[in-house]
Order: sequence, then structure tokens, then C-alpha cells
Amino acid sequence: MEWISEHLLLVTALVLTAAGTFTLFPKRLALPRVLGWLLTLAGVVALAASFVPERSPVTDDLLFYLFSGTAIISGILLITSRYPVYGALWFALATLSVCGLFLLQSAPFLAAATVIVYAGAIIVTFLFVIMLAQQSGRSIYDQRSRQPLLATISAFVLLGALLVTLQQANLEPSVESTDPGVAAVVTNPLSQPLPDQPLGSMHGLGRSLFGDYLFAVELAGTLLLVASIGAIIISPRKGQVTQ
Amino acid sequence: MTGDAQQYLAVGAVLFVIGALGFLTRRNLIVMMLSAEMMLHGVSLTLVTFSNLHNTIEGQAFTIFTLTVAACEAGLALALILALFQQSQSLDVDLWSGLREPDLPSPTSGEPTTLPVQSEQEFPRLSPAGRVPVVSQKNGDLSAVSGSSAATASPQDVQPLASSHK
Repeated sequence: MEWISEHLLLVTALVLTAAGTFTLFPKRLALPRVLGWLLTLAGVVALAASFVPERSPVTDDLLFYLFSGTAIISGILLITSRYPVYGALWFALATLSVCGLFLLQSAPFLAAATVIVYAGAIIVTFLFVIMLAQQSGRSIYDQRSRQPLLATISAFVLLGALLVTLQQANLEPSVESTDPGVAAVVTNPLSQPLPDQPLGSMHGLGRSLFGDYLFAVELAGTLLLVASIGAIIISPRKGQVTQ
Repeated sequence: MTGDAQQYLAVGAVLFVIGALGFLTRRNLIVMMLSAEMMLHGVSLTLVTFSNLHNTIEGQAFTIFTLTVAACEAGLALALILALFQQSQSLDVDLWSGLREPDLPSPTSGEPTTLPVQSEQEFPRLSPAGRVPVVSQKNGDLSAVSGSSAATASPQDVQPLASSHK
């Protein structure tokens, strides 16, 4: 009880968001969707309020709330959408919002790469597959979820555990040990940021990728090759469907 | 910057849990794959946040690799989805619950979809190589397959699950 009263805002936010998401899921006994939207919105706002920073809101904070709110709302709309096409479009919106968060976290190259890879390649491929494989009209498996109540409860209990741990965590940036008796642990010297450049610059990222992680880059290239060969083999061809 | 990191990590956790919830709950194969990509977004955001917090570029390098693996996974998953769709004419994941361990209870949601009448079990094939083998002509089977797929397109939601499904 005492614990709940300490984290009252967070618990309320989680319960509101869980109820809204559960209401939005496609079920046999469909609850009104407006109710679900209102509950989810109230929950997300309360969630933002429980993580509000101490200082006054400036442009960064506004952008953060805009991007993170868009990402979370479109994520919930993705998993509750009745049509897979709308789900893919909501996923594109969530991807763009996450790229905005990357930009705020000083990772401009990563934001551009994510936009190109996800919005440029993966979303288009998903839309192609939806066009190829989607039947006309609504299908029953898009209208009914599998155990929505149990899954929502367990997922939001997990989220509550994560968020409470985050609120209590002491996040301090790691400082290099200046004590001469203790050897400073610098495992990857090429991954340290250059002194005259911002953190996420292409120069620094390239130094890290092709310096410290060169073998991993080679492995990733091999993985891409193997995956493309596998996709070509797995994907059905017209001439081989029947004998 | 510390308070900021907490917020960004919270957003990453929320995105991960949303993706996990969608993966557990939805029955459409495509929406399940989109939810898995959502989980990857949450993890990427967490990595980038830690990279910014500790002022090192390693987290961003890890995110590049996450991106690579996500691209591979999407390509393979979509090829698999197309192959499964060609066999069952449906994107319902419950149709493939027969792939579970035989002594476990059935995980289906109790709302069966219709299963089209399969005239012939089809398996994925490797690409042809070498000399063309001599195959006996089966024109009757070929017309039966195309006819059944055209016939089962319309009464999809009417029939309950056929008992022929293993």
C-alpha cells in the first residue's frame, strides 16, 4: 500500500494505458473505440507527467514530448489496427518519431540510416507483401486477438517493473578513473569521441565501425549475403508452385 | 543530461513493451512482424541513449548492427510469410499451431479461421539445378489446385475449421 501511494501517478498512468489499449484491441465484444483512445491518451499524458524533468521546458523538451508521444501513440495504434496496411503506415510514423529521438540524442547519421533502411526499404517491402498476400475484405484473424486481457496485464506489469526500476536507477555517466592505482578501463580506444567533433558525427562512427568493429562489420556483410540468398530460396516462385 | 537519459530510456521501454504486446496478441503474421520491429526500435533507442549518456560511440555502432540484423530478419520473414500464405491462403498464425511440441496444449485462440481445401500438400523447394528430371504429366492436379483456390476465396468467414487440418 505504501509503495502504491509512493508511485501513485505511475501506477495510475499504467492502469489507464493498459485499460485503453485493452479497449482498443479487436475483440468479439467490441468496446467503443473512442473510450479506448481517451483512456490511452490520458494514460500517456500521466506517464509523461510522472517523468517530468525539474527544469523549465525548452525546445528540446517540446521536441522530445512531440516525438515520444507520437512514437508511443502510433505504436499502440499499430498493434490495435484492424487492417495490416494501416498498421504498416502507423509503423512508418513510429519509425520517423524514433528517428527524431535519435536526432535529439546526437545521432544524426543513425537517424538518416534508420529512415533510409526502415521507411525506404522495410516498409515498402511490407506493403508489397500485404498487397500480395492480403485477402479482400476483413478477415476474422484481424478482428479477434489472442488472449488480449492476459497479454495486456502481463505486458503492463513488465512495463511497470521496468519503469519503476528506471525511476530508482542512479544513472550517472561513467567517468574515467583518475586514480593512478586503478587502471582505467579503455577497451575500445577508437570508439571514444574525437575532441573536436560532436558525438554522433560520421567521422567518429566510421572510426569506431571500421576500427574497433571491423570483424563485426565483415560478419554483418556476410549475414546480409546469407539472408538474401535464403530469402531468394524460401520465397515461392510462380513456376514452382505446382509441378 | 541525466534526467534526459531517464526519459529516453522510459520511452525505449514503452516501445519495447508495446511491441511485445502486439507480438503476443495479434494473429496476423504481418502485424506480428511489425511488432517485432517495434521491439527493435525500443532497443535501438535504449542503445543510443546509453551511448549519449556515457559519451562514447559504441552504442551507435551497436545500433548499426541492430539495423543490419533487422533488415535481414525482415527479408527472411517476408519470404517465409509469402511461402506460408501460398500454402494456406491465410495469414492467420493459428493455422500453424500444429508445429508446436506434441505434448503441449493447443495455443489457439478458439476462434478458428477457415482452412481452404488443400488438394495437395506443397513444400518449399530448392531452385532447380542440373538436368531436368523426367516427371509424369499430371494436368488434372494442376487444374484442381487453381480451381480450389478460386473457390475458397469467397466463403472465407463462413465455414468453421475443417477437420482435415493437422
